[in-house]
Amino acid sequence: MDIFDKFSSLQFRSDLVQRLGVDPFGVKFDRILNASQGLIGNREILLAGTNNYLGLTFDPDCMDAAIAAINKHGTGTTGSRIANGSYEEHVDLENALAAHTGMASAIVFSTGYQTNLAAIATLAGPKDVLFIDADSHACIIDGCRLSAAPTIRFRHNSPADLDKRLTRQGEIKDGIALVVIEGMYSMFGDKAPIAEFVEVCARHGAYLYIDEAHSFGIFGETGCGLAQAEGVLDKVDFISGTFSKSLASIGGFCLSRHKNFEITRKAMRAYMFTASPTPSNIAAARAALDKIASMPNLRTALAERAAQLHSGLKALGFDLCAGAGPIIAIRRPNEVLAATEWNWLLENGLYVNLAVPPGTPQSSSLLRISLSASHTKEDIERIISIFTKMKSNSGALMAKAQSVLQAGTQ
Amino acid sequence: MKLDLSDASNEGSQMSDAPGQDIFDKICELLAPYNPKSLAITRQSGIMTDLEVDSTAVFDIIMGLEDHYDISIPMEMVSDIKTVGELVSAVQRLAAE
Repeated sequence: MDIFDKFSSLQFRSDLVQRLGVDPFGVKFDRILNASQGLIGNREILLAGTNNYLGLTFDPDCMDAAIAAINKHGTGTTGSRIANGSYEEHVDLENALAAHTGMASAIVFSTGYQTNLAAIATLAGPKDVLFIDADSHACIIDGCRLSAAPTIRFRHNSPADLDKRLTRQGEIKDGIALVVIEGMYSMFGDKAPIAEFVEVCARHGAYLYIDEAHSFGIFGETGCGLAQAEGVLDKVDFISGTFSKSLASIGGFCLSRHKNFEITRKAMRAYMFTASPTPSNIAAARAALDKIASMPNLRTALAERAAQLHSGLKALGFDLCAGAGPIIAIRRPNEVLAATEWNWLLENGLYVNLAVPPGTPQSSSLLRISLSASHTKEDIERIISIFTKMKSNSGALMAKAQSVLQAGTQ
Repeated sequence: MKLDLSDASNEGSQMSDAPGQDIFDKICELLAPYNPKSLAITRQSGIMTDLEVDSTAVFDIIMGLEDHYDISIPMEMVSDIKTVGELVSAVQRLAAE
């Protein structure tokens, strides 16, 4: 028995997609030129799968802030905030996030994944019950697994189904119900009906936790996310998010309208036992937060590009998973055809994401596009023209997928 | 809430009078859309191994059972259930509570 035997079926699928050319899950960029262009070798690639929604990774102020932080504090913090102390920038960013959203408490984490892992695993104790959306991100599921609480899933984006399951649960002796949803879902780009969830939670006395990783900075009058867009931000108990999308860095945050959230700093293992975010990461996110507050035009530009691409792809007859938004996912009939098309798109200068089961809802195979405020109208026209060309090549692409599939199963 | 599954492995000895036949039939019905190869389903079938059902689909089947029997099957209980027979036992037990 070999230690890697357990990965044999994964290895088979991985080998299959490798035969198509580039490994879709191991792309190497030689250089990123700006928020929407990169180089592979000396080929210029239009980037449409980076979650760089506001395009701030190359904003001069964000870059300057990161460089200044390195000059001031060095490259790394080399320890956790509990054991090795905080830098003033950590505290300043937490204060700025709390002030910007009107929340009582804000805690920053080293990655977005760790944020949900730490907060959910700690907030839900053994006598509590977690209720999570059926399409929850892996970090929410892992947070539930690490918690001592039983976890019940409800149907995706269905406040009525949550209502039914909370009613079925009845009174929780010596415990609470914690409901976890996302603002905008990362694979399909569909949005939660947040105001309805707030109403159901209030009726059952349940706490509500919303992961706005893909929606913070992008929706709401001042970019606080979908809860703000629906006018219920002050009624949400916890909002989490990431620095690695609209905030142009890496790290994450959890906000709460409850001041007592502060005590969890001394209980969240994924906060206590990991190194704190680097000075440059924190400084870049802090500068990006200022941009989110002061530049609503970034959100307008993103919405315009999203509408342009959505209608263009729809006109070509593609099956799109949600309405117009910064994430546009195209449903494909199967994994191998999707991977074949993904390779063809890269050969034709366009980088999107390939998303396949089990990482996708409804076992879907997707070509997933994420847009950026830095995309121009011409960039979107180019994306549409590449997809037009892909469509006219569909016979050849299907034949290639078929031959790879046959070779793989022989 | 009790999450004890200790009697789930006694399934084999109860096969003769087929307790939970209605639950077994319901599970087969819910499994059908995820069984394109029409593999034979028995109580000994491993849901993810023998029947090749992926983890996402397992949870769809679980939700179908929860709604049909008006029960809650917590996620951590699901990860302990490997076979169709173990799932029948879990549903029986939760429905009796």
